[in-house]
Amino acid sequence: MSALLEIRKLTVSYGRITALSEIDLSVGVGEIVAIIGPNGAGKSSLLNAIAGVVPAAGGSVTLDGTEMLRLPLEESVRHGIAMVPEGRHVLPGLTVLENLRLGATIRTDLAAVKADLEGFLDAFPILRERRGEPAGRLSGGEQQMLVIARALMSRPRLLMLDEPSLGLAPRIVGQVYDMITQTRARGVTILVVEQNARRALSVADKTHVLNGGAIRLSGTAEELSGNPQFEAAYFGLRASVDE
Amino acid sequence: MIDRASPFAKNPKGFVHSLPSRAGLERLLPLLILVVIVAAIMLLAGQLGIVQQRRITLGFISMISVVGLYVFMGNSGVLNFSSVAFMAIGAYVSALLTMRPQVKATFLRDLPDWLASAQFDPWIGILAGGLVAALVALIVGLPLMRLSGIGAGIATLSLLIICYIVLGNWTGVTGGQRSLMGLPTYVTVWNAGLAAIGAIILAFIYQESRSCLALRASREDEVAARAAGVRVVRERLTAFVLGAFICGIAGVFYGHFLGTLRVENFYLDPTFLYITMLVVGGMRSLTGAVSGVIVISALAEILRLLEVGLRLPGLDAAIRAPAGLGDVVLAALMLGIILFRPQGITGGREITLRGLRD
Amino acid sequence: MSNLVPVLIDAFSVGGLYALTALGIGLIFSVMRLANFAHAEFVTVPAYALFVLSAQPTVMAISAAVLVAVVLSLATERAAFRPLRGIDPATMLIASFTVSMFLQRLLVFAFDSRLKPVDPLAFLSGSVPLFGVSVNLLKLTTVITCLVLLVALTLFLKYTRFGLEMRAAAEDFTMSRLLGVRANRVIATAFVLSALLAAVVAVLFSAQTGFVQPRFGLQIVIIAFVATVIGGLGNLLGAAVGGFLVGVVATLLQTYLPPDLRPFREAFLFLIVIVVLLFRPQGLFPARGLKERI
Ligand SMILES: Nc1ncnc2c1ncn2[C@@H]1O[C@H](COP(=O)(O)OP(=O)(O)OP(=O)(O)O)[C@@H](O)[C@H]1O
Ligand SMILES: [Mg+2]
Repeated sequence: MSALLEIRKLTVSYGRITALSEIDLSVGVGEIVAIIGPNGAGKSSLLNAIAGVVPAAGGSVTLDGTEMLRLPLEESVRHGIAMVPEGRHVLPGLTVLENLRLGATIRTDLAAVKADLEGFLDAFPILRERRGEPAGRLSGGEQQMLVIARALMSRPRLLMLDEPSLGLAPRIVGQVYDMITQTRARGVTILVVEQNARRALSVADKTHVLNGGAIRLSGTAEELSGNPQFEAAYFGLRASVDE
Repeated sequence: MIDRASPFAKNPKGFVHSLPSRAGLERLLPLLILVVIVAAIMLLAGQLGIVQQRRITLGFISMISVVGLYVFMGNSGVLNFSSVAFMAIGAYVSALLTMRPQVKATFLRDLPDWLASAQFDPWIGILAGGLVAALVALIVGLPLMRLSGIGAGIATLSLLIICYIVLGNWTGVTGGQRSLMGLPTYVTVWNAGLAAIGAIILAFIYQESRSCLALRASREDEVAARAAGVRVVRERLTAFVLGAFICGIAGVFYGHFLGTLRVENFYLDPTFLYITMLVVGGMRSLTGAVSGVIVISALAEILRLLEVGLRLPGLDAAIRAPAGLGDVVLAALMLGIILFRPQGITGGREITLRGLRD
Repeated sequence: MSNLVPVLIDAFSVGGLYALTALGIGLIFSVMRLANFAHAEFVTVPAYALFVLSAQPTVMAISAAVLVAVVLSLATERAAFRPLRGIDPATMLIASFTVSMFLQRLLVFAFDSRLKPVDPLAFLSGSVPLFGVSVNLLKLTTVITCLVLLVALTLFLKYTRFGLEMRAAAEDFTMSRLLGVRANRVIATAFVLSALLAAVVAVLFSAQTGFVQPRFGLQIVIIAFVATVIGGLGNLLGAAVGGFLVGVVATLLQTYLPPDLRPFREAFLFLIVIVVLLFRPQGLFPARGLKERI
């Protein structure tokens, strides 16, 4: 399978703290790839560096052959990367509808934008019902649906999600993951980061265990769950992140 | 209470590291170097003509004021636009105490009798100027020290404006919009230089105190400092009052340097100038405060010489810039320094023999 | 009633100018957390343009003033504020002081610091009857212009694409950029709008005072700052209301304070500011999700 996203020796540091050291990773077209790891493993740093939210100290990230590092933040979505950051980040004072419209900032095919918008409002009746209300008033689960829909409004090639299940009830987590698999069915490649390993493993074609800023183990769900090293990779080696 | 393991030492090379661990002499080194620099400037001034001496005297007065500004703003990280108001208070208090009764009688009709008929020693004027400024700071600081950020900026700016309006309209006591003339002009490059050294020593002693250490912790992270038991308002107030005392004395020297007081001398222009000096030098260190004054004063002097016409040896014609251009260029240079070194020339560190250290 | 109308018109013609100025400051603050003191020169410089072009037809002089304001504001953004983006608000505020000082000294250098006569709206010097009293036409025009601009700005922010992007950026700059909102464009829009408002203030205020000097904009900007903070930094509606409020309070103090206290009226105004800040450090109408703690 040809790779959509190709990461080589990516390093991210904050002052003297190195959050990621020389990560290699590739994501194939149409795949769902999951990154799991404990708190402070460097998962958010990885997505943030790919999207350009934090600068990379070294390495390269290419999307379909185009170098993404050193592009201004607002360009990554123009190249087809949509990101749902950790903690959702709805624009709380803007209405639900305005949030969705902003998702299509980069698009000029206004008729198709309108159709997509209607599509999401049909799929999530609660969003339609509350479309004129400030997004900050939605519940956590509703906000999560909104930000995923908002990200998809840009019609991305790659959707990146940072801990989409964080703080949600199991039933809502189920809905979020249904949405993820449906999205992949429409041809969007997905890179999802989770601390909650089980859920991510269940949908991912391939999972990487990140810990202490490095990938410790990779494989499919079956390979990992049968692997005696899994627990050590996930829980061990914490000390190396702390100075 | 706050030791090296405190959570405030976010930056492991930060201030907490630099203080208690060092040996006594090394700890004093930044102070010694700064004092030597100021003393050297005094000695140099002694060799120069009267005009240059006056410029340097003015520089020393700015230095006192900027050090006073640093004591609060540098250590607490809270914006403060009111330092010149405390200068004004010091200047007017000392003026009223030290002017000759005949002069007061002609200008100032509303003075109480004991003040109208008295003339005190300059020392009394200096002390009273500083103390009254400190007292006012204590009173207004009590409520104001709860504010930080832009709110603190606007509140202290309001304070400056109130002071300006009151002094400018309280005609019977301050002379109002007219100039207040006849202050004894006892200020020389020597006593101004010594006062600057005094201000530096005072600021240094304070900055080595536990109270200031706690204040600096709150500058890095107010919430964490509060959680660790730092009484932020109290520590800020201490610095505010001490800073006002020093600024008040700067005002006294300024008044007796000029011999004439106008409220305009204590308003926005000097406020901007002193804040810019502090920021250009590096707001977070005493070295920054002192070097900012020296650099800006030196630049201003060079530009002034260019305006007057600078005659270089071996050159027939004088190099001469159009009048008023110096001010423009100075402002541009200050802006340039802020743009390229937002942390100031010193980067907020103190000077040592091996260069600038944290 | 009849003696209340002129007082109200006075209050609102002063307050309207403060409101427009406060909005100009608030627009830039909300997108980049810059409390822009150089807004003073965004007002002063176009007023000087009016002076230079005072022999030209009114329409031309005013258009030139607007153009000058916009160019100045974009140039300032590019040269001084863009390199400092993301730095702490206090340093940015001080940088904006320095910009203000630089421009002011440039004006002194070019024009000296004496008062220069301007009268861009000479044709509005008459009065019209309103509610049985005669009302100064210029003041009435000022009030109407301010209200019209407030409505226009609201519509712009609410219903245009630029407006949507600006509101998004004001709420969460990084998230907006992730969605493709271009930082430079949003900030440039804020600076252009701010300059347009400043140019209008320059025209109306210079018509009221009849002269311009290098500190022309500063006096109004300092009070507008106060209005912005009282209204709630980062909240545009709050800034507008704060502006009107400050204008009304200033006029009422001027009208009803005993004569021997009148010279101190602005001192009372700033005292009120301090009191408001002490009891409501976030202003009367705090903005949601504002990162900077006051
Ligand atoms: N802005 C920052 N400044 C300094 N250090 C940071 C910053 N962001 C992250 N770090 C550090 O980098 C390391 C990796 O953080 P990161 O947020 O990438 O972890 P994570 O895997 O996403 O953790 P979590 O599951 O808690 O979200 C951590 O040690 C963290 O403390
Ligand atoms: Mg994370």
